[in-house]
Formats: sequence, structure tokens, C-alpha cells
Amino acid sequence: MKVSYNWLSTMVDVLPNAKTLAERLDMTGTAVDDLSSIGASLDGIVVGHILERRRHPNADTLWVTTVDVGRHNQDEDGQNQPLQIVCGAQNFKAGDKVPVALVGSVVPTGQRIKKSKLRGVESCGMNCSVSELGLGTDAAGIMILPDDAEVGMPLAQHLRTSDTILDLEITPNRPDCMSMLGIAREVGAILERPYHLGRKITTPPTADSVENYVRVTIADPGRCRRYTARVIKGVRIGPSPPWLAERVTAAGTRSINNIVDVTNYIMYELGQPLHAFDLNTLVKDEQGRVHIVVRAAEEGEAFTTLDGVDRALSSDMTVIVDGNANNGAGVPIALAGVMGGLDSEVTDTTVDILLESATFDSGHTSRTSRSLQLFSEASARYERGVDDATCDEFSARAAALMAEVSNGSVCAGVVDTYPAPRVIPRLRLHTERLQRFVGADIAPEDSVAILRRLGCVVTKAGEKDTVFWVVPPSYRPDLEREIDLYEEVLRVWGMERVVPTLPGGEGRVGRRSAKQRTLDRIGSTLRALGLNETMTYAFAATDDQERLGMPWATGTVPVELLNPINSEQAVMRASIIPGLLRSVAYNQNRGVANVHLYELGTVFLGVPTQKLPTERQVLATVLAGSWTRPGWNMSASLLDFFDVKALIENLARELGITKLAFEPLDAEAAPWLQAGQAACVKAGSNMLGWLGQLHPLAVAAFGAEPAVLAFELEVEALLSAACDRRAYQDVSAFPAVELDLAIVVDESVSAEEALSVTKAAGGALLQEVHLFDVFRDIEKIGPDKKSLALSLSYRAQDRTLTLSEVEKLQARVVRKLSGSLGATLRS
Amino acid sequence: MVSIEDIASEKDAALQRIAAASSSTELDSVRVAVLGKKGTLTQLLRNMAAIPASEKASVGRAINATKAAVEQTLEDKAQALKAAELIERTQAQAVDVSLPGRTLPLGSQHLISRITAEIIEVFHGIGYRVAEGSEADTDYYNFTALNTPADHPARGLQDTFYLRDLSGDTASIAGESDAQLRPQTSGVQVHTMENEKPPIYILAPGRVYRRDVADPSHLPQFTQIEGLVVDSGITFGDLKGTLEYFCREVFGPDRRTRFRPHFFPFTEPSAEVDVSCGICNGAGCRFCGGTGWLEILGCGMVDPNVFAYVDIDPEVYSGFAFGLGVERIACLKYDIPDLRMLLAGDMRFLRQF
Repeated sequence: MKVSYNWLSTMVDVLPNAKTLAERLDMTGTAVDDLSSIGASLDGIVVGHILERRRHPNADTLWVTTVDVGRHNQDEDGQNQPLQIVCGAQNFKAGDKVPVALVGSVVPTGQRIKKSKLRGVESCGMNCSVSELGLGTDAAGIMILPDDAEVGMPLAQHLRTSDTILDLEITPNRPDCMSMLGIAREVGAILERPYHLGRKITTPPTADSVENYVRVTIADPGRCRRYTARVIKGVRIGPSPPWLAERVTAAGTRSINNIVDVTNYIMYELGQPLHAFDLNTLVKDEQGRVHIVVRAAEEGEAFTTLDGVDRALSSDMTVIVDGNANNGAGVPIALAGVMGGLDSEVTDTTVDILLESATFDSGHTSRTSRSLQLFSEASARYERGVDDATCDEFSARAAALMAEVSNGSVCAGVVDTYPAPRVIPRLRLHTERLQRFVGADIAPEDSVAILRRLGCVVTKAGEKDTVFWVVPPSYRPDLEREIDLYEEVLRVWGMERVVPTLPGGEGRVGRRSAKQRTLDRIGSTLRALGLNETMTYAFAATDDQERLGMPWATGTVPVELLNPINSEQAVMRASIIPGLLRSVAYNQNRGVANVHLYELGTVFLGVPTQKLPTERQVLATVLAGSWTRPGWNMSASLLDFFDVKALIENLARELGITKLAFEPLDAEAAPWLQAGQAACVKAGSNMLGWLGQLHPLAVAAFGAEPAVLAFELEVEALLSAACDRRAYQDVSAFPAVELDLAIVVDESVSAEEALSVTKAAGGALLQEVHLFDVFRDIEKIGPDKKSLALSLSYRAQDRTLTLSEVEKLQARVVRKLSGSLGATLRS
Repeated sequence: MVSIEDIASEKDAALQRIAAASSSTELDSVRVAVLGKKGTLTQLLRNMAAIPASEKASVGRAINATKAAVEQTLEDKAQALKAAELIERTQAQAVDVSLPGRTLPLGSQHLISRITAEIIEVFHGIGYRVAEGSEADTDYYNFTALNTPADHPARGLQDTFYLRDLSGDTASIAGESDAQLRPQTSGVQVHTMENEKPPIYILAPGRVYRRDVADPSHLPQFTQIEGLVVDSGITFGDLKGTLEYFCREVFGPDRRTRFRPHFFPFTEPSAEVDVSCGICNGAGCRFCGGTGWLEILGCGMVDPNVFAYVDIDPEVYSGFAFGLGVERIACLKYDIPDLRMLLAGDMRFLRQF
């Protein structure tokens, strides 16, 4: 809420300067978002006196003026010299006092004033209009100041608009602070100063009773605790007097006309939203009375709000209805608590006013605003809660002020329908408990004094000096429980005075869970292997999966956002790969070819009939380019399938995952991968995920350049396959016998098959098989054949193996390879 | 006939040749020439037979002494040559030590997870465990059980992302939904209080979502760490002490903190916590907007209404909760000019940490 320091200083005695006030507000629960000085926007604009006005020699519509600006323009001898200013306005004459923007100043519209030539004549400044100064909308001519304005005086000083605006953050629990009166009360309480309303406004009412013009029915008191109506007759709609226009402007709204400005002024001053209807647009019954009905809107009921938008209402919304209209069926004239209607709005021809001052329910108002995305100053106040106790008193002040500024007359009395006054609770305050809760010795008398300053009525409850009854004021609906009183006492007494301690509870141990330890180990292993951790958006474009070529898991659908920020982020991601591919493209576009990224994050899968999506933790990696740039002592080969495979092998080793197996995936099973460089990875029968080279079309679909290698692994599967335990094996003291073996097999035989046959045939003594070469040559080996070179290491735990023993085993290996795989020995 | 003089001159000659040898190879050939099968000294020994018996003993001693001396000299010379040759060899292997080392592609941790881990570590030290929860949750856990029922004015404060509710339920407010991306990790606290008995000392880190358009100082997804303590006799002073400890650990021992009363539906009383600006040390500068303070977290005493939702007796237990944005800490500690860099995956950015 914007608070004018000048305005506030008329309501609180001996206000400290704005900065000190802001600090104190900050430390007692009212955050000051901004302090701005209004006069500052008029810096460099001064009162000028037009000495002479001549026709521009080259332009019929322009004038060349000579303007005295006092000491703001002096010659070398220090003598004041008038300025020559070219001016296009027609509404002035020589001798007028006008606002002059000096060279170098910036007028509130943002225009910087420079020395310039207009049609060949030099101009050293600008004579300003009201709209150029941001003081109104009148742009027709320059602003004419009173004759007694002092030449050379800064305009802000002349207009007395020098003010400081405090932009306060009013928390949702403080409806009472949504007004100048509330802020004055709050400042009074925290500074221990008296506060009061501005000047008294009284207009003697006419003998004509309001009862002759209006009756009110509240159909549902749950939606409206109180509705008051007053009638002001014979108003003349026109501009507001300057003080009123200034105040509503300072509060952050536009000055519209005298009647509307009064409704806004009273709302800012007292916190009571008001609405002025043009009484004569409403239908009168035979006795000449209009009938105001407050009721639930009908489902789908149509209504055009003040802003000209046609809206379809729902039954949760509340409407004010012109009860006699439509042959007594009624027509909505306002959306209760949110906005008035177009048809009954106050216009230039309005003569009689029906003034509404009511208390609408906060829940209905809040939901209505959110449903229609229609937020107003009124709804902001009703949402938080408007005090029903002062509804009538504040309406009386508004009516009197309306009559004053519009030459109208207030009808006697008020139609006050008040079916449901809010029950104000009586709370018990235990000051000892308060001390224990805060951990500070706040004296009981201090607590009582603070609550009294805040408007509570505090009385002793029984004999003890530490228990009290507290009745909060009607404007503090947030004080409902004893704990709410603790907060009030603490914030005013001073949080800074509480001595810091640490909780003394025993027997707690802070540690990572087994899962968190494993996740940390996954991260540290991947980083040691050269991957950089990243984070990408959890949002995705609707067609990301399609662009990637990755089908939806059976039985799942995209997780749609109802209110996405943009179409590129309209759903939740089902895979991390699109986000990582965008990062690959981002890097490649900036000349970074070597990209090694991993992300451990959540993917989301919608399941029909299930309220919340299924979330899965996924570990994903992309690799592009080489591991390093070529160095002076090393070359840099391009990354390929076996780099990404090695990452998984190393990770599995670190996590203690045994029975790791890679099985090829065909194009049908993994269309997002390049056929022939695609595999799934398993731990035993447990599927961990997939790896491979991403399909060039998928890579290109995200603006990246192939080749990009990737894997995506299920974290849950990794965690369940991981094993902390390691089985110790004796390290043999005896030497190994190493024998090499080169076999020729068909292309269709996989390395995995060759290795497993070898291991099975070699038995327990074959400790290690190392594949060290794959060789193809049509001439030497033949078509569709390849040679695999294996190094077999035999070792026993208890003795040195003899060569003949080993040769026997080796012969069995060769036999089995030949028998199972059709392998032949390569000579 | 071998005379003592012959032996002496042979010794002199041998020692001269040894001294003259300039390499291990040359020395080896000297060794062969003197002590080899056909070596000069060996020849002398072979001729011993011709020496009269009376002289045999003395000549034999002389030859043996000479042989020993030659062998010793050879050995010494070999050692010296070896040492010299080692020096020569190592000198030849000298490198320009300023050349870069052989690159190993060591990776880096993302700034946000690095800071998260650091903060978790601080709280492990004072007895907190980490609790986790899902990123999508229902309205009940995101708002209602946090004392923010449907009509609460605070509902308008946070712009929540709504997901299509596939269960067929519809929300009472048009455009809203019961299925939401969590706007804070507080739901984890509710789940924890439902499932565990006090004492509870937990930290809930995780990704949260608010409907802010990404710009240098906003992201629609960011990382939050919330803490919750529920125990008997917990005071507001305990909350202050805990967060002051945290701020000193994370920002440094010289930093001060201040508590400004605020409002959060979940806590009562509530406060925002500022840490003194590290650039101007509280005097006010551009970095802190002239206030001398940087806002870092929100906190408060758990509202009794929240305890009521999870069936914890507020007459027996009290507690506090706090929440901070990791991205905000990252900005304050590392002066990151644009938060979007955290989500771009730029290798040049990631590898700085």
C-alpha cells in the first residue's frame, strides 16, 4: 500500500522523518518495499514568467517566448537573464506564470530537455502542460500558474507536492492496515504517539429521508454481514478539488471525478470500500423506491463490469441486484466486493447517488477475483476482511464529503441491514506461557501495555497477575487465538531483544540415509569420470517426446500444466534428454564442442484416473565432441558408444552392481537411438535403462549437431541393484600363466558371447579374460568374419600352475568356442 | 719370466687405461683387456708356472695385490661413470615444467547442489536429517494443512502451477486444480509430522515451482531448503540461535543477522531474516540496496493450527520452521548476474564451480 508521508503526518503527532519511520515499521512487521520522493520527478522544473510572446518567423502555430526564470539563467556577471523558448501552445499571454523545464531536466513523461533549434529559432527549455508534468490529463495547452507564483521557485515547492511515498507491504493477516487510518493506528502503537482522523466533515442532512428512495434485502447473510445505503441528491459531477485529487493520486490511483474520487478517498483513508450507483439508472417501485438485493449469482448469469467486459458468473459469486428491474425479477448491477456494473456507473449526467457501504464475505470475494482474474482495490480489502462495525460511520463521512465537493445534499438517515455482526472473541493471555514460548522475560505489564496500545481491551482474569482477558478491537479479525497475541507482543516488544539459544533436545543424530549416501556416490563417481552436473527445466514442450522419437510408456499420458507460462513449457518432462539436448545445442552454438553433462532429476508421467502424476528419479547423461581438446602430448579422439558404456561400467563397479549386462536394442524398440549403437542395460533381470548414440534426426530436432551419446537410467533401479557390501577374495601369492588366443567368428557372434563361452570353459582357474583386439579383413579372414584376440590369465590360489595343466584348459576353451560359436583358431 | 717390475708396470698401465676410460662401455673393454681370459694381468698369472719356487710367493702376492687394486679401481671407476651417466641421462630428460599436465576430464558439481550439500552438512552437524517428498502434491499438502485453507488471502500471494487432475475431480475455482506443482517444500514437513513422532529435526531440500517468467532474477523453478523442528520446550530464542548459527556457518563468522516480524500462514509468530551485507559490512551499498542487509530466509514458530492438522499436541510440543531459496544464496555468495545461467547447461559456467 502506498502511504503519503505528508498525509500520515496529519494523522499522527510528531512523526519522525520518513527514513526512521520506515526502519521502525520494518522492524515491527510492516515491510517498506520502497521510499520514493514525489517532488523528485519535478526536479529542474521551475516557475517562469512570460515577459514577451512573438510569432515564430517560420511557423504560424509556434510562438517564440522570452521567459524569466530568476536565478536559473545568469550571464557571466551573475545577472539574471531570461530564456528564449519556442512554444506551440495557444492558451497563454505575456505576463502569465508557467512551469518551465530547464535544459538538462527530464520531465515526468521521460523527455529530456535539450537546447535545440525549432524551425531555425533557438529554444532553451520547455513550457510544460499539465500532462507533461504528470499532474493530470490536460494536454491542450501549457499549465498557467497563479499570478502570485514566485519566479524561479522549484515547481514542486510551489505546488507543495514535495512528499515521500512509503510503499508498504501489507501482509494478508492485517486487513486493518489497508488504510491511512490503520497505518496511523499502527504507527501510533509502535511509536507510542496519539493518532486521529483528518478534519471533521459535516453536511447537514435534508429532511428528505433515505427510506423514501431505497430498501435493501440481503438474501444470504453468509455472503454479506452488513449492507448500508445512503442517498446524496442533486450532485454536480465535475473535477475534484485539488486537495482531493492530490490525495487519491498520492494513494496511487487516477483522479476521475468528484464522486468517484470520494469513494476512493474514503477507501484509502478508512479502509471501507464504497460504491456509488447512479440512483436514476435503477428501477423504482410504485412508492418510488429502488430495491437493492444481495444474492448469489445464478450459474452462468451474464454481467458487464465497469471495465466493459461481459462476464459469465457462477453461483459462488455474489451480486448486487436492482430488484425491481426486469419486472421484479432483478438485474445484477454490481459484482459484490469486486467491481460495479457498466449500466449503473456514475457519469457526467448523474444527479442522484446511491452510496453502498457493505461488508462482503472474504472467501467468496477471493474466489470470485481468482476465478475471473479480476482484482480491484476493493477486492483486495474484502479478501482480507472489512470491519462491519464501522460500515455505517464511514459511509456517513463519505456521504458528507460527496455533498461538500459536489454541492449535493445528503438524505436523512441510512438504510442499514445488519443481519450478522461478527462475534469478537474474548481471549485469555497467560504471560508466563508467553515468556516460556518466546524464551524471554517480557514483563506482564509490558505485554498488557502493548496490547492496549494496539486497541485491545485488557482486564485481569482472576487473582493472578499473569492471566488476563483480552478483547481485540473490531478491526483486528486476525486476533483469534492466544498465540496471535504472543505475536503482537513479540513484534512490538522487539524480536531483536530475544537472546539466541540452540534447542536442547537430546538423542538426535544428523546423518544421511543409505539412499542419500548412494545418490551422493553416483554424483561423485560421474564427476570423477569427467561429467559436469547440470539442471534443466522440468517443463517440456508438448511435442518433445515426439521430436525425440521416444514413445510414451504404456498406460501413461503427458502431464499437462493448466496455466503454463508458454507453449515451450506446457507439460512436465517425461525424459531429461530433450532438456540436455537443448544444453548441447546451447554449447555448440557458442563454440563449445566438448559437452559432458549429467542431470539427476525427476520425470513425470500422467496416469489416467490418478490425481497426481507418477514421479520417477532419472539419471541422464549426454556426451558430444571429445573428452578433451588435443594437447601438446596427447590426441583427442571423438567420443563414441564405448565412452558412454564405460561410464555405466565404472558407475556399476563403484556402486557394487554385479551381473551388469548390455543387450542390443533394435530400431523398433528404441527409435530415438541410432540403430546398431543402442542397448539396454540390466543388472541381472533388473532393467536399469538404456544407452547409445542418439538418432541424428532426434539430435537435429533440438538444434544440436550429432554425434551425441546418451544414457538414461532409473535411479530406483540403480539403488536397488547397488550393494554396499564387498566380498573379499584372497589375492593369490602364486604367479599367473597368461596365454593369448585369436579366434575367427562370424560377425553375428557378439563379444559378450565369446567371452562368456570362454569363461565357462576356462573354469575356476581362468581368472581373467581380456579382449584386446577386434580385427576385420576380407582377404585374410574372409567376409562377414571377425577376429577376436583374447588374453587369458590362469591362476590358482594354492599353487603355481604347470604349463601342461594350463594348456589342457586352453584346449578346452578352444574346443568349446569352436563347438558353441563355430570359432576357428587364427594362425 | 715375470718380474716384480713387470707387474708394477702392468699395474701402472692398467690404472692409466682405467682412468682414461670415458664411458661404461669403454671401461668394460678395459676390464676385458686386463682381467679377461686373455687379459694382460691374466696372462701374467698364467706365466706363474715359469717362476722359480723361491720367488713364487712374492710374485704371486704382487700379482694378487695388483689384481685386487685393479679390480677395486675398476669398481670405483664404474660407480663414478654410472653416476655421471645417470646425471647425463636425467639431464637429457629434463622438461619444461610449465607445459600443461596431461588433461583428465574431471567434472564439476552444479552450484546449486554444491550449496545445498553444504547447507545440509551444516544441519547434519546439529542433528537434522533430510526428508524428501514428491514435486507434485495435492492442495491439502501444499496449502490447507499449512494453515492456508482455500479462501485464505495468502492463496493469492503465490502463483501456483496447476496440473490437469486426471482423477476427474474439479476445483471450485476456475482454472485451478487439486493437483499442483509444490510452491514450497513445506508439504514434506506435513508428511513427516503425519508419519513420525516428535522430536523431529528435519531438513527438506528440493525443487519448487512458482509461476514467474524467467528473467535475470526469477525462475519458474528453483530450489528451496526448509527446516522443521518439533520438540518439547522449543522457544523463539531457539529459532534465533539456530538461524544465527546457520548464517555464520554459511556466510562467515563476522556476519550479523536480524529478524523482522512478518507473516506466513504456516507459522506464528513469523519473521524474515536478513544477514548483514558482506560487501559493505552493514554500512549500505549498491549490492544491498543501501540497507546494509540482505534478505535470506523466512521463518517462524509452527502455528498450532498446523499441529492440529497432523495431530500433534501443541500443549506438549512447540516447534519452528524456516525456508530459504538456494538460488538466492548462490546469488549472494557468488554474485551470479542472471539466474537463467543456472539452467542453461553452459559448460563454461558449470566448470567454474
